[in-house]
Amino acid sequence: MFKKILFATSATRASDHAARVAFNIARANQARLDIFHVLGVPSRGYSQVVVDIKTRERVDVDDDYMAWVKEEITTYYGDYLKNGLTYDIHVVVGLPAREILRRARETEPDLILLGGSTEAEHDAVYRKTVAGTTLQKVARSAKCPVMVVARPAASFWGGVSNITFGTDFSKASDKAFDFALKTAQALDCELNVFHALSVGSLSSDRLLSQDEIEQKIREKMRRIRARYEPRLKTLKHYNMEVWEGIPYMEIVKFAREKHSDLIVMAHHSRKLQTDDNVFGSNVEQVIVRAGCPVISINR
Amino acid sequence: MSKKILVIDDDPNILDYLSALLTDHGYDTQVAPDAVKGLETARRFLPDLITLDIEMPGEWGPRFYRQMMQIKELKNTPVIVISGLSGNEHAIPKAVAAVKKPFDREELLRIVKEAVG
Repeated sequence: MFKKILFATSATRASDHAARVAFNIARANQARLDIFHVLGVPSRGYSQVVVDIKTRERVDVDDDYMAWVKEEITTYYGDYLKNGLTYDIHVVVGLPAREILRRARETEPDLILLGGSTEAEHDAVYRKTVAGTTLQKVARSAKCPVMVVARPAASFWGGVSNITFGTDFSKASDKAFDFALKTAQALDCELNVFHALSVGSLSSDRLLSQDEIEQKIREKMRRIRARYEPRLKTLKHYNMEVWEGIPYMEIVKFAREKHSDLIVMAHHSRKLQTDDNVFGSNVEQVIVRAGCPVISINR
Repeated sequence: MSKKILVIDDDPNILDYLSALLTDHGYDTQVAPDAVKGLETARRFLPDLITLDIEMPGEWGPRFYRQMMQIKELKNTPVIVISGLSGNEHAIPKAVAAVKKPFDREELLRIVKEAVG
């Protein structure tokens, strides 16, 4: 399924749950794993002094320092690197999102895998992951699928046997469906096609009546059947469901109820939200809240 | 009548230890070394509680749990996760408890008693 995986890691505990997923997927697919670490941001222009992402200290970067960091990463992931896994370790200086995307352009991986926030406070995941972060920038711009393991709960627990694909019926969702279907076929697993009907909130201008909601659910269900079911029939097990509520919440709840080990969704815009008040797109909210890895597909 | 407990773990030492410990404390105990045999035993034995390892050869604990949830007679059976894997409390969100190996026997017995009464 995957032959080249780019795993961007801080090589700290914040990336441990993503590392477990990365190494297990690489091993299961006999893929080459590109372990990629961005040291930090140059403090001035082309300065060789960087603010280390891991320690937050200012360090002079030279060949010895880079070699030492590589050695540290090799030691940190020592247990995973045994038994014939094919891997490279690359360390660079720069802005993490830019460098990850640059590396992806150079190596053309089938999958980019990212961990969660490196912020110490758990709540920070919810505040910081929404706008302008590495995760958001990479997920919105990468040419290949981007898997994010944002929470320890989303780590690897034995493989993928149940996938939830969240659709909004867009063209981008059709691409994401292609990927979800191909994955379900390759891994012989169950695929759930799910749509969350947004019903607004008490503060919105007009609340839908329950009759209207149920009417819309029936319409969406017919749409799912027409759009996806003919191709779903190639699978042994599939489900189609529409729930009403706040879309990202419903997707997370649905995946939890189905014990899904993977969520696949489309990522629409390449433009970044910069307003901190903007809560981010549904896929970004799903990414930070899901109890399993989320794959975002934007083209 | 004794409460029935099924222990699923790929480590034979853990199976022997937990079986002896739980039997000594009055529980009717059966063991299984993997998820597939665990499911077979669970269907037949209909336990009041299952202790479940996470990382096992073949199917891992969470997959066993998903299959178990689809069986009418088992879907309300409480599960205690017992695993050495880091973050094991996240592996099965609906488990009644997650115990990290190596565990304290008194603490485990207290959790078991709370779970099955």
